[in-house]
Amino acid sequence: MAHSTEDDSHYELFVRRFTHHEPDLRRFLRSMLPTHTDTDEVLQQTAIVIWKKFDQYDPDTQFMKWACVIARFEALAYRRKMARDRHVFREDILSLIADESLEEIDQQNLEEEALEHCLSQLPEGQRKLVELAYTPGIKVKDLAAEAGSSPEAFYMRLNRIRRNLMKCIEAKTVQLSAEGGPA
Amino acid sequence: MKPHQTRFEDLTGEEQGWIESYVNGTLSEPDFETMENRVASDPAFRAVFRRYLAMDSHLLANPESGGIEHSGTGAWLEEERPVSASSPTSLLKPLAVAAALAFFSGLAFMYWLVPGEPAITGEEKGASAEGFAVIGNLSTPVWKEGTSPRRAGDTLSNESFQLASGTAEIQFFSGATMIVAGPAEISLTSAWEATCLEGRVRMRVPPAARGFKLHAPSTEIVDLGTEFGLEVNGDEAHVEVFEGEIEFQHRDGEKRLVESGSAWKLPLGESESPLQTGQADIPNTSDFESEASRLNRDDFERWARHRDRLRRDPRLIAYYTFDQKGGLVPDLTTGSTENHDGAIVLAEPVDGRWPGLKSALEFRRPGARVRVNIPGEFEAFTFSAWVRIDSLDRQYSGLFLGDGYETGEPHWQINDEGQMMLSVMVDDSRPNPRAKNGRGFHRVYFSPPMWDRSMSGQWIHLASIFDPANARVSHFVNGEKIHSQTIEKEYLIKQLRIGNGEVGNWGLPFSEDPTWAIRNLNGRIDEFAIFQQALSETEIAELFENSRVGR
Repeated sequence: MAHSTEDDSHYELFVRRFTHHEPDLRRFLRSMLPTHTDTDEVLQQTAIVIWKKFDQYDPDTQFMKWACVIARFEALAYRRKMARDRHVFREDILSLIADESLEEIDQQNLEEEALEHCLSQLPEGQRKLVELAYTPGIKVKDLAAEAGSSPEAFYMRLNRIRRNLMKCIEAKTVQLSAEGGPA
Repeated sequence: MKPHQTRFEDLTGEEQGWIESYVNGTLSEPDFETMENRVASDPAFRAVFRRYLAMDSHLLANPESGGIEHSGTGAWLEEERPVSASSPTSLLKPLAVAAALAFFSGLAFMYWLVPGEPAITGEEKGASAEGFAVIGNLSTPVWKEGTSPRRAGDTLSNESFQLASGTAEIQFFSGATMIVAGPAEISLTSAWEATCLEGRVRMRVPPAARGFKLHAPSTEIVDLGTEFGLEVNGDEAHVEVFEGEIEFQHRDGEKRLVESGSAWKLPLGESESPLQTGQADIPNTSDFESEASRLNRDDFERWARHRDRLRRDPRLIAYYTFDQKGGLVPDLTTGSTENHDGAIVLAEPVDGRWPGLKSALEFRRPGARVRVNIPGEFEAFTFSAWVRIDSLDRQYSGLFLGDGYETGEPHWQINDEGQMMLSVMVDDSRPNPRAKNGRGFHRVYFSPPMWDRSMSGQWIHLASIFDPANARVSHFVNGEKIHSQTIEKEYLIKQLRIGNGEVGNWGLPFSEDPTWAIRNLNGRIDEFAIFQQALSETEIAELFENSRVGR
């Protein structure tokens, strides 16, 4: 393969930064877009644009902030393409959410840590159900059909588990930030 | 999250429902628009919304998902990258989805198909029908930090039970009973197996539960129908047999059969050695019971003080605590000039929340009821009741219903799916727009299901508010708001009445069909209050706190 070492290291830096921040970027986009599929699509587009513009990235600055500017632009562009009947927020609201999400990165990382803890506290049956429902490519409708149940009942169950998780996350985050904060 | 920030549970049921449906992709267009406006205008709601969506995103990306690689990660990078050096990112395994389904379907569907679908309520309410053990009794429990407090009657499943101090009784569905004294950490495996990592434990295993296994950090104890004690403290454990026999295996040693009246020392890193009996301080049932009855009395007295304060509340219309006097339940309100005493019909006196100290009425027989007459006009209703439901085998189980369901009269009841229902007749001379043969113009406000069979026999506090001034109906279970809904303009009615009415049943059903006609509550009520104003959420929470059983 004919490519220079410089290309390689450039690309490797991109991959390292991107994969490191991918969950944060996904979370950032998820708060703006109605479904995981939309999120995936915009995340892919964002990755492409980030790669194309990567020579403009100053390695000494925060990658996440730079990437979020691109992700936000891509989310807005995506919104304009989408059909009107889809549940996508108005542009001003998307901007509002994006701004606040960026300010909240540390907080959200704390919540993520709390979620890990809370998942481990979940009874096994509930944890399996969440894992199943969140396995990429699996549709709740199909799951419910296979289990001989209605999607509504499945969603109700999932909602209940997520309520418990939220309660746990919100309590745990208070605890974590108290531990990590000044005495 | 800062402590003063709004939590998901602080949102109304309606607001929670929007976010959940949005995430599930089932939100209706009008609801989406309402939610969008709320997102735009309410920073607190927006923050909760973002937190929920962040959780949703992280659940998808959570690498712990059974070791199955997440399809999103870097998959597309391969196509886009200009050179073909191998990428350090993980790549999509083409068969991941199929594999995931196969991997999970066995396990997860097993849980999913557990008989008796659990109710849609929080863990705390002990509503889940899953589980293999239940908390029988608690005495001065203090819970370890980071674990949620439990109540007597809570169902336990595969989990870690952690007690900082106090005593708890765990009843396994196999028939085995465990009394645990804190500090303790017990890992519950099944109705037949548990591990004591720390703490003092007494096991009682009746013949039906023979073979129950209790693990200490380096010992496995099989109970052969007996009563024994185990203490685990740091590097050391003691076992003592009080009755019957057990078999234990310490580390990789031989199995030992141990009979009553002997004790063994079980050091973590060494072999076992015999020990004099009586060395360990094993919790005792009789201590526990006397402690429990003292607490029971304290609890009751706390409630009695609350009752004496409450009866002076000028907003009360009527207040019954079901202490019968000559076939009547007296109305305890002090301010009223009218006589609102209730007449008992067929309802039977039984134990209330504090057995031996407080009585209740049971409405088990189809004709059972308490009849009241409450004249006057009111501007709102708050209903509050302590109820022990045995089953919801009627289509509607009555809590409090106005006899004729005439204009302004309330109907407060529970349907067979465990939903609380509150309605007030808006205009009995207008047709019902929803059902041709339905009675009059009114609307029923439903809560989500809040009861299932696993809660049978548990005392719960129910409250519902009909608040015309704020055009709102709300439902509460154990002090927590579970549902709130706007009263649409058309259904708004401001002059409320009661007149003749009934607690625990409905006397004058319009339908001939007995499945509709019989509305007796299959269970007990031991406290019931009606207020002529909408109580605040805080006040409802206080009502519950001041009158609940156990802490």
